[in-house]
Amino acid sequence: MLCDRCHKRYAKVLYTEIINGVKNEQHLCEECAAEYTSFHMDNPLLNPDVTLNNLLSTLLGAYTPNKTQDSGESKQDLECSNCHTTYEEFLQRGRFGCAECYRSFHKELGKTLRGIQGAEVHAGKRPKGFATSTDRKLQGLSETERLTLELQEAIEKEEFEEAARLRDLIKQLKKEESGNA
Amino acid sequence: MLKWYEETGPDSDVVISSRVRLARNLENYKFSPLLEEKDAEKLVEEVKSITPVLAEQDNRKYYACNIQSLSDIDKTAMVERHILSPLLAEKEQTTGLILSEDETVSIMINEEDHIRIQAIVGGMNLEKAYEIANRIDDIAYEKLKFAYDEKYGYMTACPTNTGTGMRASCMVFLPALSAARMIQKLFEEVGRYGVTIRGIYGEGTRSLGNIYQISNQKTLGNSEMEIIENLKRIVEQVMQQERKRREYMLSLNADEIEDQVYRAYGILKYARQITSEDAMLYLSQLKFGADCGLIKFNREFNIHKLMMGVQPGSLQWALGKSVGSTVRDKARAEYISKELPDLI
Repeated sequence: MLCDRCHKRYAKVLYTEIINGVKNEQHLCEECAAEYTSFHMDNPLLNPDVTLNNLLSTLLGAYTPNKTQDSGESKQDLECSNCHTTYEEFLQRGRFGCAECYRSFHKELGKTLRGIQGAEVHAGKRPKGFATSTDRKLQGLSETERLTLELQEAIEKEEFEEAARLRDLIKQLKKEESGNA
Repeated sequence: MLKWYEETGPDSDVVISSRVRLARNLENYKFSPLLEEKDAEKLVEEVKSITPVLAEQDNRKYYACNIQSLSDIDKTAMVERHILSPLLAEKEQTTGLILSEDETVSIMINEEDHIRIQAIVGGMNLEKAYEIANRIDDIAYEKLKFAYDEKYGYMTACPTNTGTGMRASCMVFLPALSAARMIQKLFEEVGRYGVTIRGIYGEGTRSLGNIYQISNQKTLGNSEMEIIENLKRIVEQVMQQERKRREYMLSLNADEIEDQVYRAYGILKYARQITSEDAMLYLSQLKFGADCGLIKFNREFNIHKLMMGVQPGSLQWALGKSVGSTVRDKARAEYISKELPDLI
């Protein structure tokens, strides 16, 4: 049987679509199926060539969006500025080349990590003495600016008593500042 | 100083040991797949240089060495005792090891990650294992610049370890569930809770003597303690199931089981040669009998220590030379007979 779409290649995929209860069946070749449907031959469950070794890289690849749907910079253009591992190589190998890869692949990495880990943000240990960007920002701020940030945070967390305390503190500080000037 | 497998830990009728492994990398070296040999040598030296600091701050004796300086027998014996991972023992590049005298802490250098800190304790005691590994991590961080990112946490070579870089695991002895052919079902069930069960020596290895490893799958998005709590809950469930099953088996045919346990003792005590498979089988039956109180020894002894001792590498290590399988089988029988206490 030939493909219902291109009428050239043999149909290998029976694609069934049910939209609002209307069933539509098509016999498609692999190429047309990949192009017009969400079906991919490199889906690890369907591809018999997948061995355990490249299972991870196949999984990693499967979690990234289809190349044709990419707009602007595609994932192929991503390259680590330190070790020159490309995103494509990372997917194939299933291993990062160096710590800088995490930062260089930052755009695509969230999705990939969510795919394998179900999360993309670390919630565990922070090494002693490690200064986060917030810490660094706070160090360069004046007392009032720092308190204002804390006030915002308290409001977001709906800790209103704390917010009121901070608000009064800020008022007081501002008064003192203008008094000194 | 007693090694972890010479002491009896909590719940050791089911949980043989608890282990925590932390994967860490250094900011200024490429990760393992891209690391060149000359950098590997530098890395191993740099990490090994923390040994005196560790010994001082952790109050234990520590040894450091290059894996390449070890003989094949040493390496095999260390893999059998879970000091080395099979990967590290086989790696061509320069690799290193820092080991505490009691074999509780081992730091593998240039494994899949630059550093793998491992702490292993007897019985069900994940918190203690984490506490030790965490302390070693803090000490090491003072000297070594670990790759850490605010968002991603500890940056590891493989994205399956990113975040905490932590793999916590319990080695469990499940003879009753195995006999009831319930292991496969258990695999499927625990999988739903982000936990995996594997053979005794990690990924892709088969189970020996009804011993399995249960460990967390995910490393990102939860704190270390949350991961440990979750794993602990599941291991406790498995423990309950195994104990229930043991009771049930005993209630059905206590006489047959008792007979089997005593036969196992007889073979282990009096055989003149024995293969490691047979030894594991009978030791497993003996442990089961001892845990259920069917058989009593005249002194305390740890069957799991014997289970490691009968492995080909450990045996040849004790003999001090590499020998063929027939000689090994004889030496094994002699070793077991000597170690096995008399009955009351």
